[in-house]
Amino acid sequence: MRRALAAVALFALLGAAPVPPSATRYPTASATDLGATRLVTENDADSAVSGLQVFVAAGLDRESAANDGVAALVAECVTRTPVNGVPVRDAIGAAGGSLSYTVDGRSVHYYLEARSEHLAALVPLLGTALAAPDFSSATIAAARASLAAREIEFESNPLSVGIQMFRRSYYASGTGQQSLGNSGTLAGLSSRDVGAFYRANYRRRAIFSSVVGTVTPELSSAINGLASGLADGPIAPVSEKARTIPSTAPRIVARRDVAAPWVVVGFAAPAPASRDFGAMLVLEALLSDAFERQATTTVGFLEKSVGAFYLYDSTPASLVVYVNGSQVDPSLALRELLLVSRSLSQRPLGPSTLAHFKTAAQGQFLSDSVNVSDRAYLLGAFSSQGLGDDSINAALAALERTNAADVQRVAKTYLQRYIVALVLPRGQ
Amino acid sequence: MSVQTLLRAGLLGVAIAGWSASAVAATGDLPDLGPNTTIGRLPAGGGTFIVRPAAGAPVAAIELWYRAPSTGFGAKPAPALARLAAQVVAASKPIVGDSLGKAVADAGGRLAITVYSDSVSISAVVPAQAARNVVRTLTTAYFAPVVTEDGYRTARRDVAQESQISSYDPETVVRDAVFGQLFASGPQHFPALGEPKDVLQISFADAKAFATRAFRSQNAILVVSGAVDPTIAAAAVGGRPEDSGEGPEAAVTPGLASAVQPVTKNFAEEVGGYGWVGPGIADTREATAMDFIADYLFRSDGGSVTKVVGEKYPEAFLLGQFITLHDPGVMLVVYSAKDNTTALRSLVDDGLAQMQKPMDPATFGHALDAFKYHLLTDLQTPTQIADNFGWYTVEGAPEYAPGADGDRGAYFQAADTLTPDFVAAVAVKYFAAAPVVVTLRPGTPPKAKPQ
Repeated sequence: MRRALAAVALFALLGAAPVPPSATRYPTASATDLGATRLVTENDADSAVSGLQVFVAAGLDRESAANDGVAALVAECVTRTPVNGVPVRDAIGAAGGSLSYTVDGRSVHYYLEARSEHLAALVPLLGTALAAPDFSSATIAAARASLAAREIEFESNPLSVGIQMFRRSYYASGTGQQSLGNSGTLAGLSSRDVGAFYRANYRRRAIFSSVVGTVTPELSSAINGLASGLADGPIAPVSEKARTIPSTAPRIVARRDVAAPWVVVGFAAPAPASRDFGAMLVLEALLSDAFERQATTTVGFLEKSVGAFYLYDSTPASLVVYVNGSQVDPSLALRELLLVSRSLSQRPLGPSTLAHFKTAAQGQFLSDSVNVSDRAYLLGAFSSQGLGDDSINAALAALERTNAADVQRVAKTYLQRYIVALVLPRGQ
Repeated sequence: MSVQTLLRAGLLGVAIAGWSASAVAATGDLPDLGPNTTIGRLPAGGGTFIVRPAAGAPVAAIELWYRAPSTGFGAKPAPALARLAAQVVAASKPIVGDSLGKAVADAGGRLAITVYSDSVSISAVVPAQAARNVVRTLTTAYFAPVVTEDGYRTARRDVAQESQISSYDPETVVRDAVFGQLFASGPQHFPALGEPKDVLQISFADAKAFATRAFRSQNAILVVSGAVDPTIAAAAVGGRPEDSGEGPEAAVTPGLASAVQPVTKNFAEEVGGYGWVGPGIADTREATAMDFIADYLFRSDGGSVTKVVGEKYPEAFLLGQFITLHDPGVMLVVYSAKDNTTALRSLVDDGLAQMQKPMDPATFGHALDAFKYHLLTDLQTPTQIADNFGWYTVEGAPEYAPGADGDRGAYFQAADTLTPDFVAAVAVKYFAAAPVVVTLRPGTPPKAKPQ
């Protein structure tokens, strides 16, 4: 009843009440050196669950052509490693949490989430599996089967296929390889290969963590313990190279069981710590929206005729723009896209257009970074790429600082050379 | 607890509102939703507002919920009428200003409209600094709807396309078939989104008439969550003077079928499905037990059946959820594994049979802890929170919304009362009845739609 009365009274009071300022930033994040490892945290006591991302510098950039898929195979084995008699993923699930992993260009990141008061107790389970993963033949076989199933899903998506074609062509290192490998290369990986990759890369110095939610001393201590469980020793420098994109606009073609052609145009792009980062976010928003018919409700990326993704999880970064041939004539859309790219480099955006696309870029960025998992990922990924401790807010600030000259300069620098990947229906 | 999955994964949903009283009474006390949530009345005799501030990302979810039959208010059902009318309002450009769709996009936001058998949700996710303006724009657009011929034409194109896309979604097709069998009459009997031809048959006048009646302020539930404060509700506008004195829409009573028949349909791949009637929302303990069963067996990232299926048939699709509704709720299972769909079905059957015996206490304890964690992880974002409040309010029990009063509210209290014996008894009670069995397969000769 107390609340009901308070609510009824609300409108009577509103006339005199000042309107408080709206939030424009995430809670301020900070970093701590725990001794064995570094931790970046964003305290959000409002969140009932907390999330820990453990980044291990054992991503695609550590793979070679000879061990394509090994980063994912190691990660899959880690999550299947028995702890207290059951695979650690199930042990964490039974204890009221969840464990998953993602392989990207620069890292494998393990994501552990639980009710905030339970998270610290679950970290040692993951630590045990990371320190002594099960690379038995049976576990590797099960891991391989699981990855192969996901490959089928990957191959059925023309957008994934097109982006992967571009990445393979663009990157000069393992970064261009498929994140989960493929059944052909996975079949050739032995227990020895998996073990060798683990020993070379799963080192204490390769670990870096981020938490969003409630950070307690017990949680910090548990994370430090997780890192301490890994072997010390140096980690090898990594080659983060991309090929120079020729001015001849190379075309790559693949055929799949798709109903209509898809076109993926790939460009080089600046890293998050670059002064060009904010401008590239604006260009991503512009190229995502510029060709879309004025839809009333927001359409999903597979229903859009043209869309864009700024892929800053790898070094160097890239931008891909796709054309969905089931929605629009791909040749026409591709021509228009290239005309717009050229035009953007030749004259600055007007003030209202710039403001519109900055707002769109901000909205897109925020919408993609709402849950604890995504925020913990971005916090760690941006921080490790030089955006500072309060890295998500730094990214927002970079976007706000962006002016028309920045957008023009970045369009001129990055959008004039590109690779075209075509995914065509079989028979075309 | 299926609401967030239901809302965001599907193109259309199903809501049954068979009660005779209004969801939240037009007069009388409002429920206590905990210290972090404000509930009150919209200005000028309007419906209900709920504001749940949340720190974290600087975004806000703003949702308008209406109780309105998807097939319209007339005697002759018009599938897709509610969906089309909601879209026409969003697409129509008033004499001054932009259409709602453009206004939300210009704010950097995303706009979605979702229709269920007996309700409609219009939701925007926007940067927090735009939230106040969007509350004003959204309520202005719907509380005194301006509909134009241009907006109607655009909406017809978009909704027909959405309907076409939904016909490729196995979950939607199975769900529509299950509801078509379980309910002999009422909007629940028909697909909420209709078929493209249904959309194209709806006239401008019908869409306008529906919008004018359904989207009144008095029939609205405004839910705002995210980086906002409770005063944001004051940005809502009042309704039309001519509507004053009118309350919310009365619900349509669904007619349960006396017997159900198996359904077989053409589809691109082999898919199976089950549907049972379950407890209504008022029986919170039984409804929570059904949610627990769905979570334990079919949770996508670790359900006991899901795990076995994932190892045996890695390409399989499996979904199981209890759809919490006023009365009755519905348990839905959808499964597909290419050439192994029949074998997968036996794993589903085994899981459902297993639940009809009490779990051992240790396993049950772990499963209950995991269930509560799953509830909380599905309540992280402003959209998830707003969806829950909107859904449970429209269904008649806002205080039962997961997330009302954090993990101390009615939902979690009901979860705390569950025992292995009670869960087994609930499973026996509802799964003993013959389910609707749905079979989708390629090349099946079309059959007459069951009436």
